Amino acid sequence: MVAGVLEASLEFLKREFFKYYYENLDRLVPPGPIGKREFGFFLDKKGGMLRHKCFNNLKDFHEFVLKEIPLDIYVSAARYEDPGNRDMGEKKLIDAELFFDIDAESAALDSDESAWICLKCGKYDYGIKEKCPACGSDIEYLETVNEEQLNKALKETDKLVRILTDDFGINSNSIHVFFSGNRGYHVHVNQEEFLSLTAESRRELVDYLLIQGFEEKKLIEVLRKKSLIINDLKGVIGRIYRRVLDSISSGKNEVVYTKSRLLKYINQAIEELKVRIDPVVTIDTHRLMRMPNSINSNSGMAKRAIELKKLLSFNPLREAVVLGEGEVIVKVKIAPRFKLCGRTFGPFKDEEVELPAYAAAYIVCKGMGEYAGG
Amino acid sequence: MEGNVIRAARYPFLPEAREFVSRHIDLSLESLDKTGSEAALKRAVERVKDALILKEVRVTPQHESNYVREMLSFPLAIILVSAISNEYIRRIYSLGESRGAYKRMLRENDETLLFIGERLGVRGIMDNNGFIKISIPTYLNLAYVFHEHRWKLVNRIVDKGYVWVSRTEYARLIQVEVNNYVYEKTLEPIPVTVVPQRLKEAMKTIIETWNKLEESKPSHAISEEAGENPPCISRILKRMEAGENTSHFERLVIATFMIAKGKDIEEIIELFSKQPDYKYNITKYQVEHLSGLRGGGKKYSVPSCRTILANGLCYPDEKCKGVKHPLGYGGRSIGGKPRVS
Ligand code: SF4
Ligand SMILES: [Zn+2]
Repeated sequence: MVAGVLEASLEFLKREFFKYYYENLDRLVPPGPIGKREFGFFLDKKGGMLRHKCFNNLKDFHEFVLKEIPLDIYVSAARYEDPGNRDMGEKKLIDAELFFDIDAESAALDSDESAWICLKCGKYDYGIKEKCPACGSDIEYLETVNEEQLNKALKETDKLVRILTDDFGINSNSIHVFFSGNRGYHVHVNQEEFLSLTAESRRELVDYLLIQGFEEKKLIEVLRKKSLIINDLKGVIGRIYRRVLDSISSGKNEVVYTKSRLLKYINQAIEELKVRIDPVVTIDTHRLMRMPNSINSNSGMAKRAIELKKLLSFNPLREAVVLGEGEVIVKVKIAPRFKLCGRTFGPFKDEEVELPAYAAAYIVCKGMGEYAGG
Repeated sequence: MEGNVIRAARYPFLPEAREFVSRHIDLSLESLDKTGSEAALKRAVERVKDALILKEVRVTPQHESNYVREMLSFPLAIILVSAISNEYIRRIYSLGESRGAYKRMLRENDETLLFIGERLGVRGIMDNNGFIKISIPTYLNLAYVFHEHRWKLVNRIVDKGYVWVSRTEYARLIQVEVNNYVYEKTLEPIPVTVVPQRLKEAMKTIIETWNKLEESKPSHAISEEAGENPPCISRILKRMEAGENTSHFERLVIATFMIAKGKDIEEIIELFSKQPDYKYNITKYQVEHLSGLRGGGKKYSVPSCRTILANGLCYPDEKCKGVKHPLGYGGRSIGGKPRVS
């Protein structure tokens, strides 16, 4: 959520969040055991994060949530001996779930599909600008959640899940996929053998997924001599190999393939096959993950679990909308067109509009306007 | 039976060697002075000296045939090293035991090799082509010590949770496990409060050998100021600072370490500027290459402590205790901004 929302807006959000949490407390269950996890919260946007919190049981945690109505709730991927300790070393890491984050790329669209606001003079308008045309300062994009980009991210997530199961042999019961509630997807893996991997080992998994440090030379040798049995090439090497063979056979039947030509094919294959995860997130065993089924204050939507079987048909902009439908009034500075729950809203500029609470919260969370009653 | 005992003598870190020792011999240190375990203690000293001098503990058929002494000498050597409590000796001894074991393992048949792996928790399954598959987490936990690209998971055949390795590579991975096992053992406190006289004498011989070796080494004045860099790194930096010519490996260590620490390319190049053969463009090219900015984006990883030790460049201090990788020196405790996703 953009800092500096008015008191009334914050109250509105907290009211709406409370309703949701009150009615859905049973869905707000952190990964266990709760006593070994560190929690973090944003209570309001002015202060920093309240972290190193820990709870002995679910009841205490739920009471805290209902009392404070946090804007964001996080829980550690790690389990610690002493999760409340402020010193990271003293927390004594036991193990940590594998955690992957795939973000939708921002779709910088011109026209009324996007908007910007100047951080200095406060000017705003639709479209894309490098700098503020009025004062030349840096600007901030007011980004809506772009459906198309989200779909691309979802496809990446699907790719990730396939590699986790096919290559890494992870049981699909141990893979939990979530929509983050705003711009991306999270994958949590809690298969026993992977929990105690060190940061260095996690980096190896990351390099595998991003296909970094791949030795093309060897593959080129194989391709030129065809010295290996194709079917035996399993894993990412095999996928690259087969993709390159496809490129070759769809080519113009050239007789010799120069090294540089093969290298080009290999690089194309890598671009296609790599999974665009955020490497930093996966390597960091001390990471705090957004709590499943909690509200993301960057959008007012919730972090939602997705059934693996229905992964590709998941519709985030419908299924993660959890706030109420009662109409309230928001005073909008500027809001590009956006879609939620199958409805299209906006674009709005300098106007007071009456919207369902979930859409109003979305506008407030994105810093596009303020709550104005209702 | 005979074969099994020989095997246990050849690989005294195997659980059956431990069982044999505890079943047949009274290993309490107090009894050491009384019972004539002289020979075993002598052999224990030899093990540590082998490691110090040759960086490899040799086990000959003669040693093996005297299997009781051989098996007993291993826990005694551990006790000696643990009691001396010198980080370098701990490390070089572990390296020596593991290297010796590696060479012996290469000569074993498939069945024995797989058996040793299994007993040490590095379970391998051999396929029809003579390749061995091991589980991904097991692989990753051991292969991190090798910084060559071919050990990277992305360059391996991977399927359904397994990584394929050759026989030799499998032995290499077991070697890492042996190294880790022996090292951990030497970190354990010795089981008595009063060290028996005979042990003290044995410790003295080892320390004398070490001192002699140290004297013959080139100066390695470690900076007093406790910086955040591990001593191996500080030492090379000092040498570079003084304009001494450093080896290819030393340069690799410094460059990869600084890259991993997020240092600027230009800053890193500057570190090399006093090298006798310094040329800005060449250094720039090399550093960029290592950082993955050139040559297909392959970032080189920082060599592990084990590799640095094997290259004779490990000068551990107290803070190195338990450290497996120079980047882990000083316990990376990261405060500051919370990192959330
Ligand atoms: S960090 Fe590792 S290699 Fe460096 S001095 Fe310490 S133990 Fe030796
Ligand atoms: Zn401005």
